[in-house]
Amino acid sequence: MRTQKKVEKMRRALMRSNTRLLLTAVVIFQALAMLLIALKPETASLQPLILAAAIPLTTILVTNLMGKIWPVDRAILILVLLLASVGLIALSDVCRSEETPRTQAIYALVGVVAMFIGAGLIRGLSDWKKRAPFMMALCALALLTPWLPAPIGGWYEGARNWIHLGPISGQPSEFMKPVLIVILAAGFSNRARFTRCLPYIAFAALCCGILLSERDLGALLLYFLTTVLMYYVASSNGALCAAGLGMGAGAAVIAYNAMPYVQDRVAIWKNPWSDPLDAGYQIVRALAAIGSGGLFGMGLGLGMPRSVPLYHSDFIFTSIAEEFGLIFSIALMAVYVLIIMRGLIVAMNARTSFHSITAFGLVAILGLQALLIIGGNTKLLPLTGVTLPLVSYGGSSLVSCFFSMGVLLGISSMNAEDEARDIEKIALQEEVRL
Amino acid sequence: MKELRRNMRAIGTLLMVLFICAGAWYGVTVYTQGDTWASDVYNPRLARSSSDRGDITDRDGVVLATTDDEGNRVYLENTAARRALSQTVGDTAGMSGAGVETFFSATLLDLSTGLTDRLSELFNDARHVGSSVQITVDAQLQTAIAAAFPSGYKGAVCVMNYKTGEILAMVSLPNYDPYAVSSDSEEGVADTAYLNRCLQGLYTPGSVFKIVTLASALDYDPSVVNQIFTCSGTWEYEGGSIVCMSGRTAHGNVTLEQAFTKSCNVTFGKLAYQLGAERLRATAEAFGFNENFKFGDFVVYNSSFPGEMRNMNSLVWAGIGQGEVLVTPLHMAMISGAVANGGVMMQPYLVKNITTSLGQTTRKGTSSAYRQVMSSSTASTIAKYMYETVKSGTATKGAVPGYTVCGKTGSAETSDDKTKATNAWYTGFLFENDHPYAVAVVIEEGGAGGNLAAETAAKALQYAIQYVG
Repeated sequence: MRTQKKVEKMRRALMRSNTRLLLTAVVIFQALAMLLIALKPETASLQPLILAAAIPLTTILVTNLMGKIWPVDRAILILVLLLASVGLIALSDVCRSEETPRTQAIYALVGVVAMFIGAGLIRGLSDWKKRAPFMMALCALALLTPWLPAPIGGWYEGARNWIHLGPISGQPSEFMKPVLIVILAAGFSNRARFTRCLPYIAFAALCCGILLSERDLGALLLYFLTTVLMYYVASSNGALCAAGLGMGAGAAVIAYNAMPYVQDRVAIWKNPWSDPLDAGYQIVRALAAIGSGGLFGMGLGLGMPRSVPLYHSDFIFTSIAEEFGLIFSIALMAVYVLIIMRGLIVAMNARTSFHSITAFGLVAILGLQALLIIGGNTKLLPLTGVTLPLVSYGGSSLVSCFFSMGVLLGISSMNAEDEARDIEKIALQEEVRL
Repeated sequence: MKELRRNMRAIGTLLMVLFICAGAWYGVTVYTQGDTWASDVYNPRLARSSSDRGDITDRDGVVLATTDDEGNRVYLENTAARRALSQTVGDTAGMSGAGVETFFSATLLDLSTGLTDRLSELFNDARHVGSSVQITVDAQLQTAIAAAFPSGYKGAVCVMNYKTGEILAMVSLPNYDPYAVSSDSEEGVADTAYLNRCLQGLYTPGSVFKIVTLASALDYDPSVVNQIFTCSGTWEYEGGSIVCMSGRTAHGNVTLEQAFTKSCNVTFGKLAYQLGAERLRATAEAFGFNENFKFGDFVVYNSSFPGEMRNMNSLVWAGIGQGEVLVTPLHMAMISGAVANGGVMMQPYLVKNITTSLGQTTRKGTSSAYRQVMSSSTASTIAKYMYETVKSGTATKGAVPGYTVCGKTGSAETSDDKTKATNAWYTGFLFENDHPYAVAVVIEEGGAGGNLAAETAAKALQYAIQYVG
């Protein structure tokens, strides 16, 4: 018993010391950045000052609280909180009204709660394969809700991916991302033979079909790619996945020919300057912003990020590139890379293939989404309307991302406990031998 | 599980590579193209840069825009002149997107100055002053033309030197006061006043397009000059009909020259039909229709000629410049300029000089041929016809006493049911070696081209001789 306590204490101490420096650096960055915004002469107000205190305190509190309850991977946790705070800082900086960052801060708090729930759920529940049919029904129905008649559903700017329930509105396709990943992981775990996986793949295809009918092409692309990657990881069946990707490419060609909207997107991507005042407006303005930002940025509050439409959601990366510059933005990309690397370690250390594939799926969708929107902002790829995970303005996306990261952290804590048990076992054996 | 880990490692590596590619792309494009993006016309940040904008001067050195000691932008004192040049010079708010203030924003601010220069300015506490842009336009000429433009009408007058390609005047009405824009209120600015109609006005050309149809006919078969056409006032053909403007009186049996000087629609409809869609389109495209104009000094909208003609009707109407044919006043001036210049169309240019604040000339406008758009013999035949048109045809009011003037009128229909008056067109040139000026005038709902448009063009050419020499 004494050994167990000792081992536990040692492990926790080890984790804290690993991440204490990181936590300190993150907290200092958060406080300084928010203070700079608070001290901008033209926007002298209380809110940034409150945030300058609240964000670092929340970061410290959440890190320690979650770390106390479960032995989660604190590095991932801190980096997730860092991304969310970069979002808050960017929004406080670029938005004209204070309401946007305030709303986002509330969403972030809801997200933190969702993160705890995510971790608790993955730890507390088992028998995921038996729950799959229920989750499938939930997922399909949730994805179909935007088809409900107005005022709940309805077309908005060419897509139908929102629902409005009284004062609350959200995007079901965002919330269903982790659900789909858990369903697929349950289906693909324990030797993924194609015939046994087929119902799950068919279900993913069904989800993609629903998203296509709602013209939610960004989410559709993410669902599709994540499914293919997860199946590849589980089955090692490269040929089949290549075929799947090929079919996806074929479908994309058909979509390109059938949907003028997609053609426009590609044409704008090829040459936004052909129509700089109308169709290419967004990307021309975005590139002007990125170019003006240059290496070191125009400085907090010194640029004009609001000249880019959707500067706070789809184009938040552009706003950050303008205000903070190339170096900071590349560093932001590096944060995603670090989360992905730590997340993959979590996936590889998981004890069951279900948990392993779940963790992998969550990491993959995060990486793909970040790549799609950063590529779209910098004219590397045609623009797809997805958010920059954890940073962009938007409740659904933020809460869903926090929830997903919570699940990943939950799995990491299970890994840590398993390892602790192993160490304990070895220690006991040593004691017996002595 | 082992396999699972191996696959994850592979996908993880793939994701890393993709992230590195995205980061590298981002870094490299910002490094190589960032300045271009930043100095883009459409970058609103340029308007509030910390450096002082350089001057804009006209061809004689008259200062059209400068920055005073307090950093305010100052335009011409004379209100009429300031308004006449509004769309050409532009404004600090960038409302007239085609103006020099906007289009040459990066030059006027000199964003390309090296870091060391900027640092030395910082230490010497000197404000950074951008380059000056001298344009080929003559302010006096442009102001005089704007004053002579029939009051109450909208439209454009474009004057250029057809031997060099210099743009001498770009009048566009209604115009606006750049001072009214820089203050926050936009009251008192007329609708569409920000538009530079010479560059951004796409109009149905009507009969002035007959120059192109004629060029096509002469280029493909020079013997067409001897052909006799019969005009009975209207021409009924399969799927439509065409009427001469002077519908009541038929032109009778006419030669090609008579048909041109009298602007006979029936003859030119028949001529277009005789040529066929392919040839007419080939000539129109040689003249610059359907081409993506990239002249460097300004943005000009692209003129268009129908790519696919569904039936005879579209072809016949295209032959007289109706239907889907669209052209800008600048392009029309270039077309008649090509007639005067032996078939060689000159590339229009607006910037005469760009000089840095230290007096170093970084760019000089040079004339260059756009292309030979028709044979020189065709050009001289058309010039002769246009001369006759002014002498005894529809364009007699376009004459300038004492000078050889060639011209062509046009009355473009813009409504199917004739509820609106036609747009009045006139294009022509001075056939004088010392005064090589081409002009294009369009007056919206100005009636027949032989009246208001021809008179305005004659005045414009007269002023050009008077002010430019």
